[in-house]
Amino acid sequence: MSRTTRTIAAAAATTALLLATACNSASTSGTSKAENSVRGVTDDSIKVGGIVSMTTASGYSKKDTDLGAKARFDRANAEGGVNGRDIDYLGAEDDGQDPAKNLSAARKLVQQDKVFAIAPMSSTTFSGADFLQKQKVPTFGWGTLPSFCGPSYIYGFGGCMVPMPGGTISQTWPEGLKKVMGGAAGKSVAIIANDSDAGTFGIRTYKQSFASAGFKVTYAKPSVPAASAPSDWSAYTKEILRSDGGKAPDAIVSVMQTPYNIGLFTAIKRTGYAGLLTDPTDYDPGLLAKSATKKALDGVHVLLSFQPFEQDSAAMTQFKEDIRKAAGKDVPLNMHMMTGYMSADLFLAIAKKAGKDLTVASFQKAADGFADTGTMVGDRAEPKGQKESFGCGALVQLKDGKYVVSAPFECYQPIPFK
Amino acid sequence: MSDLLGFVLSGLVSGALYALLATGLVLSYSASGLFNFAHGATAYLCALAFYELHSGFGWPAVPTAVLLVCVVAPVLGWGLDRLMFRKLARVGETAQIVATIGLLVALPALGLWIVELLEDAGASVKPAENQFGLPGVGPSPAKSWQLTDGVGIDSDQLITWVTTAVVAVGLWILMRHTPLGLKLRAAVDNRSLVELRGMSADRLSSIAWMLSSGLAGLAGVLATPLLGLSAHDFTLFLFVSATAAVLGRFVSIPLAFAGGLGLGVLQNLVAGYASFAERITGFRTAVPFLILFAGLLLMTRRSRTAGTAAVDAPPVDYLAGRSWLRRWGPWTAAAVLLAVAFYTVTTPFWSGILAQGLALSLVFVSFTVVTGLGAMVSLAQATFVTGAALVAGLLMSHGWPFIAAAAVGTCAAAVLGALVALPALRLGGRSLALATLALAFLADQVLFQIGWLRNGDTGWSIPRPAFGPVDLNDDRALGVALIVLVAAAVAALSALRGSPSGRAMLAVRSAPAAAMASGVSVVRTKLVLFTLSAGLAGFGGVMYASYNTRVTATDFTAMTGLIWLAVVVAAGLRRPQFAVVAGLVYALVPHLVSDYVTESVHLPVILFGLAGLALANDPDGYCAAVSVRAHRKRLARGTPKGTESGTAGDGLAASEPGTAGGVPTVTESGTGDGSTVAEPGTAGDPSAAAAAAYGSGADGDARPTAPASPGERPALQLRGIRAGYDGAPVLHGVDLVVRPGEILALLGPNGAGKSTTCRVAAGLVAPLGGRVYVAGRDATREGAVRRSRAGVVLAPEGRGIFPALTIEENLALYLREKDQREAVYERFPGLAGRRGVAAGSLSGGEQQMLALAPLLQRPPKVLIADEPSLGLAPRVVDDVFRLLTELRDTGTALLLVEEKATEVLGVADTVAYLAQGRVTWCGPRAAVEADRLTEAYLGLAAGSSGEPAAPETAVNSAMSAPSATSTASAASATSTTSATSAKDRRDSAEKAMATPGNQPGAADEEPPSSPDGETAAPHPRPTPSDTKGVVRP
Repeated sequence: MSRTTRTIAAAAATTALLLATACNSASTSGTSKAENSVRGVTDDSIKVGGIVSMTTASGYSKKDTDLGAKARFDRANAEGGVNGRDIDYLGAEDDGQDPAKNLSAARKLVQQDKVFAIAPMSSTTFSGADFLQKQKVPTFGWGTLPSFCGPSYIYGFGGCMVPMPGGTISQTWPEGLKKVMGGAAGKSVAIIANDSDAGTFGIRTYKQSFASAGFKVTYAKPSVPAASAPSDWSAYTKEILRSDGGKAPDAIVSVMQTPYNIGLFTAIKRTGYAGLLTDPTDYDPGLLAKSATKKALDGVHVLLSFQPFEQDSAAMTQFKEDIRKAAGKDVPLNMHMMTGYMSADLFLAIAKKAGKDLTVASFQKAADGFADTGTMVGDRAEPKGQKESFGCGALVQLKDGKYVVSAPFECYQPIPFK
Repeated sequence: MSDLLGFVLSGLVSGALYALLATGLVLSYSASGLFNFAHGATAYLCALAFYELHSGFGWPAVPTAVLLVCVVAPVLGWGLDRLMFRKLARVGETAQIVATIGLLVALPALGLWIVELLEDAGASVKPAENQFGLPGVGPSPAKSWQLTDGVGIDSDQLITWVTTAVVAVGLWILMRHTPLGLKLRAAVDNRSLVELRGMSADRLSSIAWMLSSGLAGLAGVLATPLLGLSAHDFTLFLFVSATAAVLGRFVSIPLAFAGGLGLGVLQNLVAGYASFAERITGFRTAVPFLILFAGLLLMTRRSRTAGTAAVDAPPVDYLAGRSWLRRWGPWTAAAVLLAVAFYTVTTPFWSGILAQGLALSLVFVSFTVVTGLGAMVSLAQATFVTGAALVAGLLMSHGWPFIAAAAVGTCAAAVLGALVALPALRLGGRSLALATLALAFLADQVLFQIGWLRNGDTGWSIPRPAFGPVDLNDDRALGVALIVLVAAAVAALSALRGSPSGRAMLAVRSAPAAAMASGVSVVRTKLVLFTLSAGLAGFGGVMYASYNTRVTATDFTAMTGLIWLAVVVAAGLRRPQFAVVAGLVYALVPHLVSDYVTESVHLPVILFGLAGLALANDPDGYCAAVSVRAHRKRLARGTPKGTESGTAGDGLAASEPGTAGGVPTVTESGTGDGSTVAEPGTAGDPSAAAAAAYGSGADGDARPTAPASPGERPALQLRGIRAGYDGAPVLHGVDLVVRPGEILALLGPNGAGKSTTCRVAAGLVAPLGGRVYVAGRDATREGAVRRSRAGVVLAPEGRGIFPALTIEENLALYLREKDQREAVYERFPGLAGRRGVAAGSLSGGEQQMLALAPLLQRPPKVLIADEPSLGLAPRVVDDVFRLLTELRDTGTALLLVEEKATEVLGVADTVAYLAQGRVTWCGPRAAVEADRLTEAYLGLAAGSSGEPAAPETAVNSAMSAPSATSTASAASATSTTSATSAKDRRDSAEKAMATPGNQPGAADEEPPSSPDGETAAPHPRPTPSDTKGVVRP
């Protein structure tokens, strides 16, 4: 028998053997007992884990999300836990913005650490979503990814923030700008985004959003290379600055990340542009520490989907105190702390409603119809939050080296997304 | 118009950074033939260091930048060169391309880890994440000036321009007007010749790497305000600047520099004016990669048409011929055990991880097809994976069953593969690798941005299939199914490898031209390989996506593909089963490390980068290394008496050079039985030294043939030299003595080992046994550089010149003083008129003159000339020999290897015959006999030269033939003819050997060319008394 033939024969034999094994066991292991499981729940504790992208090749990190969650869980435990159970927070797994690691982090937390829930989950990728949904693991995080919209076990702390066809678009940005600019009538805006599918989608969304709020959208293009921030912005600013019939528009809306915004705004300001600049990402007090960013972002209005740190309330005071306690010292606040904090907060609120008899089923039952008001992310309601965002937001302006509230935190009526 | 000016001006900023990076790429490529993927990572590391030192520790900006660019970065380059690049220069191209990919991720991780450690130690470092708008060298925020309406510059841009201009001028001066620059350019031109000229190519390589790293550091510091601290952005920036290096064909620094500047401008212009492409999402993002791809297609047109990667010799298959059980038994057992483990010991978590690793293995196996079988480095495998998974997902969303969707997805990937293969038909090596990388980025940025294909960020759900009772939703069932699939893939590929098609593929891999000549269609083979590999990757992708139960367009990016390749190559590409190991390792190791070793995420990444270091030592990967090393160990155990090199070496070491009086003490036949080590005491015994005809007369003084006085110390002496290439011994104990003012002509048939003798004498080849003495000093362990500095110069076969350098520069490398060069021009007026002309454009004779002429001005102690008259016209040959005679008269000792026996006998003082790696006869020119010469050339004596005639007899009888010389001349006329007719054949064999980096593969050609196959046997003849065939006059 030639070697080839033998190889094939052996492979076939192995195949048969293995298939037989597979058949035997697959039939016995298909059922899941997760529905009534008390995985991660004991008489006096609830095990919770997190997934956060901390180290990445792009230099972008959400690691303070972990601190925010810890701060919230610490306070819950200090207040006696949830229905008598302490939260056993394992800390967050680092997924490094890598889809494969995101999934294995989810698997590790569920299969190895046996957590009851995951809070927070904050990353640019969420490939563990299907697994968590299937394993019936309540998961709480930043709803900027489509996986937060729809699956019944996955909750965004501010709702689902990705407008879905047939869903709604939050009007916080144009409505906030209206307050800043004194109405939308006759005001022109230019919207710019990255040259990618996500950018195209952002343009589509905000074009509709601003137009329906009464603004004149004179430019809406995903034109900026998405791979890395350009060094030369003149090619992109030229067209924007002439878009309003040869004049510059009244406002320029950037739907891009911080490095892009810094380049874009610096370039635009150098041309002597006097209009309004706004973006949704640059609320990071860390940016104030550097003169270049401070200068580039000076005067820029930043959209937030939660209550600004500068706007006082009892909850905000509590938040700051919790963070200080968890960090052990005064640390500059950032939105990732808020993300982690509010993800934990939503989990705690629903868990509390679920009562003493905590199972996945009772938790899901409590979530269905859950509602509260006046939180730092506005009025929360489930399962509405799994279809659309809570629709609340604020604008802050960077002025003389610090953020000031330019449009206070408020909830607005969303519009249907076409 | 002002728009245009603005675009050009601001385009020059990124252009300047591209230029700096591209120049560094070209420098390092020239130094060691590596395309350094980690070049951008070096820049990132410097940017990070600059940020921490300047912003964290508060050091002043400019001195910090200078420190980093002039000290830290060069030291890093030097260290990497010493640790890996230097070794990598000698391995196959695939390992070269891949080794630096590990560094690409390891260097940034190293930097971040150090920051982490410093932070733990309480140093005032700042976090490296989420840092934007970082200060550069200049003021922060940058000052800006408005030149005209719409055209402005800022201080950062200005600093970049000025620095780049200064660097450009500085580099130009360094390369064109300093001795160091001259040496660097010479090293680029002909690395081995540089060594022969007494300059250390390794040192020059270090310098080039230091310069290259310094440039990367400079680019990093300058780009800090622009790119921030994103290692990813730095790497992308580097890939774009590779376009400029391509424009400079990886050789020309000025072209690369200009290309970089032009690239920046072009990119800006396209961005400014390409409104036509607005409807294509991702077009503007993809512009740099479009340019890279176009540049590769256009610029590599004139290179090898059918070229794949450089020939890298396949590793010895130690299991060849073993039983099936021996070869596949362990693998089969491992597969069965793994399958059983799924249902017995592994926890759900580990089952999942194993299944993931197996799914990835399917993808990894595809690398063994395109790169392992085809030697084409594909960096686009992730594209095929994404493409197939997206298509399958799209179809499943329309209700297609899993199998049908997977089949169509696989086909889609195969089609993509065929498309990617089209450029592969023209490109080879790193050009192909870069082209596939460019296509991978293009696919990421344009193809996978198409809305209906990617379905936004949601992607497509790929539910796992259930076949009757087998429900793959269970990780364990999926794992077992994957084992079956992987086993099938491995078996199929192994069968393919052994099939005629597989052999055709291997033929195309190792020698495209020869394969074509044998009727194998190179084009078809390459297309098939790429298509097959892409299809396999696609199928693996669908399976992987079904493990995830979802695919999104960003799951597997071009960067992922890079890392994958590095992981597979680290394990080994030659066999599909190695790729399976790679897949499992890739999935398992990070979890094992985090569970059992460290929580730091940086350390595993750094370890992973060390794979590059490992590749430098085991270019075929760790899986292959296991069997190779085991085999070596077995070999060492199996022959406890030691291999031939062991015993002979010991024996020689025992003999003192001083006491032996120049007598070769040990010969092949002396140690022939493999058990006895020649004692120093027996050295003088003429019968033991029988093979060493020359100089072995009784006590070493009886050298009746030497023209020089007996007491004079030999300028060059070889004793019992045994040498060969990678298990193919060529020399079996060569003894030669050349005295000052003497020409020793070394004659012999093809494959006798003449060139090898020269290379051993010059230090290019380290002997396995024996000693080399230069002026009585043991120089055996010295390399070519030190040998050359000691006055031993090799004029290698072919022309010993640097073709890309001018005549003046060629001379200047040997003659530092201007008046010496003038003296050469005086002697050779033909050269004088063209001193600014590139030496490569000279005629063959002029080139040879150029190679030898400077030696007259500064005569070396020893000149080893390997066929100086090769391919020259008779008149020129006369000139060459006259020149050599002149050299002798200045006292130089010449070892002259020649084919043109007539001419050489006219100048030689002593003649030695070399046959089958042994000196069979040596004596004065006057004693040369026609018959002997004929024998020497035709190799008749060779077959029986195991124990040649006793030297006295040979010499005496030669002496007793008064008409020897004339007869010899007559005979040589005929023998030259026969030798020349065989010239072409041996040319290919010995030439290949003279080419650096080619030895292992080409060396195989030498032994077969000797008529007696026994010389190739690793052990010497067992019976030293075998004298039957000795030819006597």
